[in-house]
Amino acid sequence: MDILAKIAEGFIGLFQAGGETFMGMVTGILPTLIVLITFVNAIIKLVGEEKVERFAAKTSRYAITRYTIFPVLAVFFLTNPMCYSFGKFLDEKYKPAFYDAAVSFVHPITGLFPHANAGELFVYMGIAAGLQTLGLSLGEIAIRYFIVGVIVIFIRGMLTERIYAILVSKNQAKEA
Amino acid sequence: MYRAVKISKGSSGWGGPLIIKPTDQKNKIVSITGGGIDPIAEKIAELTGGIAVDGFSKGVPEDEIAVVVVDCGGTARCGVYPKKRIFTVNLTPVGQAGPLASFIKEDIYVSGVKESNIALYDGEAPEAAPAAKAETKSTQSQAKAASEKPAKKVGFLTRLGKGTGKVVGDFYQAGRDTIDTVIRNILPFIAFVTMLIGIISKSGIGDIIANTISPYAGTLPGLLGISIVCALPFLSPLLGPGAVIAQVVGVLVGVEIGKGNIPPQYALPALFAIDPQVGCDFIPVGLSLGEAEPETIEFGVPAVLFSRLITGPLSVAIAYLFSIGLYDS
Repeated sequence: MDILAKIAEGFIGLFQAGGETFMGMVTGILPTLIVLITFVNAIIKLVGEEKVERFAAKTSRYAITRYTIFPVLAVFFLTNPMCYSFGKFLDEKYKPAFYDAAVSFVHPITGLFPHANAGELFVYMGIAAGLQTLGLSLGEIAIRYFIVGVIVIFIRGMLTERIYAILVSKNQAKEA
Repeated sequence: MYRAVKISKGSSGWGGPLIIKPTDQKNKIVSITGGGIDPIAEKIAELTGGIAVDGFSKGVPEDEIAVVVVDCGGTARCGVYPKKRIFTVNLTPVGQAGPLASFIKEDIYVSGVKESNIALYDGEAPEAAPAAKAETKSTQSQAKAASEKPAKKVGFLTRLGKGTGKVVGDFYQAGRDTIDTVIRNILPFIAFVTMLIGIISKSGIGDIIANTISPYAGTLPGLLGISIVCALPFLSPLLGPGAVIAQVVGVLVGVEIGKGNIPPQYALPALFAIDPQVGCDFIPVGLSLGEAEPETIEFGVPAVLFSRLITGPLSVAIAYLFSIGLYDS
């Protein structure tokens, strides 16, 4: 009998531990998250998609902004997955590179702006939760995650643009 | 000559049944399941007489698609095609989920489909009606329509009132959207993650994981190794869907950081090490959202996959440099 009781206790214990973590996340993460996401969503609605589109189209012209400001605007204002529709402002030869840049930013943005990809928060928040357990502040890492994200998507955009051009020209040579 | 099939939802699926009959124009059965043609797509093609296409390596113009077969875990792909009013068969039993949940409707989407759910259908097949598109824009465009009505000469107070009304309305709608996301996307994931954490931390599996992950995630060469594995072109499309794997690994690494098994200054490079595969499952869909030509998709997919093999480890190295001075004790 004792053994059975022990087993039952152990079994329930698994889920009690999970329940405590659940409460911790719901009370610790959700309230700020909800208010922050509401605020940003409201800003996006007030600014309006057309204005963003007009401005973003201008930033798509130069390589240095095409793989930095342009995808950041796309992810911030249109969020995952509609952000990739900004590809329509670009020439065909830039589209794969833009997609690569934009999609690579949907996680680095969540540290500061969780609204942009609310369905995939835990890449960042999982690791952030560990830092919080140690009593470390999250501002530093959220900012750095964002900055390194911008650098990485720029490199990714430039490189993917080049690789795509090579693949296409190789294929043309084969067909000729 | 094409035949109609009836596709019903699987035992734990949602939506449908869909009646699909290809036409001379729309005759492609497009399989977007991380490479290769899924048996379900094969079967639909066989029964209808349509052509099964691997949408991952070959772009298909939207107006040639009879139906798409996806294996989406509930974030993006399952919503993108219903939004375009293209018949969508999801192999994963996912209901109305993700940011595009409001476009996922029974008349355009069916999930959890197994081979036994597909049967020939006698009778007339209705076409996918793009009619519902107008309705889905509802709230926003209604609000806009209201404000765009022929402006008579209105006084300052009326305009002020209307303006305030719009702002308040926008804020309220933002709140509604947020709570919707929390309930649909965030809370379910918290439930899943906390169950996982509970079991792992109490059952002793945690120690095993700590002993296997920590040595890799706690050193630069280890993190570089993880990033290269995640970026392998044949693995990355499989690791991508819904970022579920990246999120679970993120949580596990977080737990180990919390316990002190992984030093906190490795948090930033770790964020990049577990994520070089981001979006690799989604390339053809993402490109077609950007209105790319089929040829662009055909070469765009390998271009992105190869690029990741280089930029994956590179991102870890950059993050490592940028984490200098972060959480130094």
